[in-house]
Amino acid sequence: MTAAAMEQDGYNLRLYVAGQTPKSVAALANLKKLCETHLPGRYTIEVIDLMKDPALAQRDQIVAIPTLIRQLPEPLKRIIGDLSNAEKVLVGLDIAPS
Amino acid sequence: MAGKDARQAARPRNEAEETVEAIHRGNVDAVVVQGPSGPQVIMLQGADAPYHVLVERMSDGALTLDADGSIVYVNSRLCALTGLPADQIVGRTFSSLFAGSAPQQRADDAASDAQLQRVDGDDLPVSVWMRQMAMGGVVATLVTLTDMSIQRRAEEVANAERFARSILEQATDAVVVLALDGRITHASWVAEQLAGRTPVGQLFSAAFPLDAQSASQQGTLTRFSRESLDRALATKPFHGVEVRLRDERMSGRSFLLSGGPLVNDAKETVGSIVTLTDITDRKRAEEQQTMLVAELNHRVKNILAIVQSVAGQTLRTSPSLPAFNKAFSGRIQAVSIAHDILTQTRWIGIGFNELLTTVLAPYGVGEGRISIEGPPVLLEARLVLPLSMVLHELATNASKYGALSAPFGQVAISWRLCDDRRRLELVWLERGGPVIEGSGSRGFGTTLIDRVVRFDLDGEAELDFARDGIRCTLRFALTAETAPEQVPASAVLPH
Repeated sequence: MTAAAMEQDGYNLRLYVAGQTPKSVAALANLKKLCETHLPGRYTIEVIDLMKDPALAQRDQIVAIPTLIRQLPEPLKRIIGDLSNAEKVLVGLDIAPS
Repeated sequence: MAGKDARQAARPRNEAEETVEAIHRGNVDAVVVQGPSGPQVIMLQGADAPYHVLVERMSDGALTLDADGSIVYVNSRLCALTGLPADQIVGRTFSSLFAGSAPQQRADDAASDAQLQRVDGDDLPVSVWMRQMAMGGVVATLVTLTDMSIQRRAEEVANAERFARSILEQATDAVVVLALDGRITHASWVAEQLAGRTPVGQLFSAAFPLDAQSASQQGTLTRFSRESLDRALATKPFHGVEVRLRDERMSGRSFLLSGGPLVNDAKETVGSIVTLTDITDRKRAEEQQTMLVAELNHRVKNILAIVQSVAGQTLRTSPSLPAFNKAFSGRIQAVSIAHDILTQTRWIGIGFNELLTTVLAPYGVGEGRISIEGPPVLLEARLVLPLSMVLHELATNASKYGALSAPFGQVAISWRLCDDRRRLELVWLERGGPVIEGSGSRGFGTTLIDRVVRFDLDGEAELDFARDGIRCTLRFALTAETAPEQVPASAVLPH
């Protein structure tokens, strides 16, 4: 997928975690699975570990961990929690169930 | 833009509500708060936090799988085993971790073996334990992975240790392993026997106090003080020094001291292996060989002296060269037969009956012409040669002039023991031969008999030349009163 295509159709996701806390690892696992199922080839996930650099929390005004930010497509959306409720995540990210 | 701003303005309220709700539901496990030096992550620890710490500290790898077989959690040890960070493992399928088939949960709750794929391409042998659990209505699988390479290595080390130990146990030499300070760390069974107790932990010089076998080697040994000997043995090759142990139990025993450095995998000297080889038997054999060579030399000289003497005396009494040839050959033959007997009996001695049968075989001892009768007597080796020569002379005379020269003549040989079995009396009686005129011949034969019996046998000979046949009586000692003369007196030329 080209950058331009990603710009148009792709999901640019950013997951804030705190090391390997159970909710953090569960959120990443749930997100990867969900994206592979519903957005194959149309997503990127950037994992940001706030244990390593807490200052990065300011960029997206993170207050709870884990938090998922949908950067693209706009508008920016955020979902807090371990993303175990797939239906709620799909709705939160505006992804139509495939 | 207006729409976006409106959404941004609405967000904090929704987000705050959402955050509180997520915390309330237990969906978050950390929050970010504004500290004096910027944002700080505060963990919201639950009841399972201690277990989480324990799992992170485990020496085994651990992971959890969701109902679909996807990895949802890995501990740091598993990351180390695979060489991958956690976020590259989480979300993968369990089976993708392994080279070959993925392990399955076993009904007997036991672990199964598998090959974990590492990021560097190597496979790591692991033992995998799995169990499914229902957690809050969701089925999860708990997995532990034990690195078997360490255990395999430990088993290899244990096997190598057993192997080395069995070599030490089987070694016929005393083998000890020394640390760099000269203390014994391992000892073979023979070394323990030599030290009288287990020498492990002692300095070599204390467990095995040594003296050099020879003065020159004592110099080698005394160049070292007790401590420096220990250090030298522990660090330098040390070969072929003959030593004795300063221990009453080992008196008279000789050892060969050798040593060589013990090198580890990194080619560093970590000590040495020292052996003490018992060479007592070898040294005795060497001494015996030296003695035998000297003895052989001595005997060869004796034989040459005898041959020289016999040749000289035969020459003086022989009327012609053919007569000399015949008499000399016969006498040398008698010497040869005597030596055959001595060799066959390993110079221990021979039964008198057997000696007579062997020496007189050419004269018809088995054909009824010669009869022998007497008690069993074991002759010492020193008697074999002179008696053989005497019997040869008697038999030659009989075959030339006496009973054995006539068709029906006979020789009767009989003997008895006397003087408390210390002496033997032999009677040689000829009958049926030609009539003997006068006092008989006093040629070389009789001279030789007389000399040999008197000087070599410490006895006497009586020769009676009766008309109807010779009667010869010999009396001689069976055991030497003093050390026997090495060169027979008969070998000394008469003046």
